[in-house]
Amino acid sequence: MDAEAAAALADGLKFLAAGLAMVGTFGPGLGIGILAYGAMQGIARNPDTAGTIQLNMILAIAFAEAVAIYALVVAMLILFVG
Amino acid sequence: MESTEQTRPRWRWGTYRWLIILVIVANVFAVKAFSPVKPHIQVPAETIAGPVILPLIGDLYLTNTIIATLIADLILILIAFSIWRATRGGAMILSGVPQIFEMIVEAIYNLTESTARKWADTIFPWVATIILMVLLINWSELIPGVDSIGMLHEPHHGAPAYDTQELFAIGDFSVTTITGEIETESAGESESHDSEVQHVGSGLGFTPYVRVASTDLNFTLALALTSVIVIQILGFRAVGIKYLKKYLNFGRLGKLLFREKIGPFDLIFPFTDIFVGLLELIAEIAKMISFSFRLFGNIFAGSVLLFIIGTLVPVVIQSGFVFLELFVGLVQAMVFGMLVMVFMTMATIAHDSH
Repeated sequence: MDAEAAAALADGLKFLAAGLAMVGTFGPGLGIGILAYGAMQGIARNPDTAGTIQLNMILAIAFAEAVAIYALVVAMLILFVG
Repeated sequence: MESTEQTRPRWRWGTYRWLIILVIVANVFAVKAFSPVKPHIQVPAETIAGPVILPLIGDLYLTNTIIATLIADLILILIAFSIWRATRGGAMILSGVPQIFEMIVEAIYNLTESTARKWADTIFPWVATIILMVLLINWSELIPGVDSIGMLHEPHHGAPAYDTQELFAIGDFSVTTITGEIETESAGESESHDSEVQHVGSGLGFTPYVRVASTDLNFTLALALTSVIVIQILGFRAVGIKYLKKYLNFGRLGKLLFREKIGPFDLIFPFTDIFVGLLELIAEIAKMISFSFRLFGNIFAGSVLLFIIGTLVPVVIQSGFVFLELFVGLVQAMVFGMLVMVFMTMATIAHDSH
C-alpha cells in the first residue's frame, strides 16, 4: 500500500495500542477497592484509631496506584513517543 | 434569589458573586477572541539555551525544568530566610507566613516521630525537604503562566509550527499570542526529505519558559536515586557492617557447613535465605524505579489532562480539574516523603537473624 495509507494505519494501531495498554488499570482499581474496604472495616470496629488507619491506608493506596501509573506511562509513551 | 431552606441563619449570596460572574463572562469572551490551540506534548523537557560542552560529561543544556527547579529552590530559601528572621528575636509565637510553615513543619515532624522514634532527628530533614520541594513543584502546574508563557523560535524538526498574532509591544519587545497551528505539507516523517519543508516566514515553534519539574524524568529519577542511596547509608550508620546481612544472608549456610549437629530443616533454609537476600537487592532497585515513575506518571498525566481539558472546555469545567490536580499534587508529595521515611526507618532497624 502507499505511504499515506501506511502512515494512517500506523497511527490507528498506535491509538489502539494505547487504549489496550490501559486495560492494566483493572488490577490496581480492584486492589484499591479492597484496601479501602479493609480500612473502612477497621475504622468501624475501632473509631479511635481512625487517624492511624487512614494514614496507613493512604500509604498502601499509593503503592497500588503506582502500578496503574506504570500502565498509564506505557500508554503515553506509545502515544507521544512511539 | 435568597434561599429559605435554613431557618437560622438565613443563607445569603456572598458579596463576591458579581466578581465571579464577571470573571466567568470575561473568560467566555477571551476564549472566543483567542481560542485555545491544541498543545504539543512531549516527554523530554524542551531546551531553552544551547549546550555547554563539558570535557568528560558531554553536553549540558538549560531546560525549562531546570528553570522550574531553580525557582522552587529560590522560593524555599526565601521562606527559610523569612522564618529565620522571624525567630531571630526570640519570639515564641510567630505570625504570618512563618506561622503557616511552623504548622506544616510540626505536622511533618510529628509524623516522622511517630514512625521512627529514635532516628527521627536524622530522618526528618530529608523527609521534610522532599515533601516541601515536591509539593511546591507539583503545585506550580496550577499557576497560570507555567507551561504557557514561553518563547517563539524557528520551528524544530518534528514540532508543530504555529501562526502568531502580535498583541502589543513594549518598546522593542513584542507580546505575541498563538492563534492556530499550521499544517506542514510533508506527509509522514520527513527523514527522507533533504530540503526543509517549511513555510518561509510564517509559523514559529513554541517553547515554554517554565515547565513543571516533576514531568521531567530526570528530576524524579534524581530524587529517587538520592533517596535510595541515603537509605543505604543510613542503614550502615545505624547497624554497621551487619547491614549487609540483609542482602547477603550467609549465616545459616555457615551453620550448615561448619556445625556438626544439623536438624532436618537446616538443609533448605540457608538457600532460601540467600534467595531472599537477592530479592531484597532487587527490591532496592525496584524502589528507585517505582519512586521515580510514580511521581512522574501522576504529575505528567495530570499536566496532560490540564492541557487537553483547557483546549476542549476552557470555560468553567477546567476549575474542577485544577482542584483534582491540587489534590493529586499534595497526595503525591506526601506519599513520596512518607515512603522515604518508612524505608529509612526500616533500614535503621537491625535485621533479625535466626
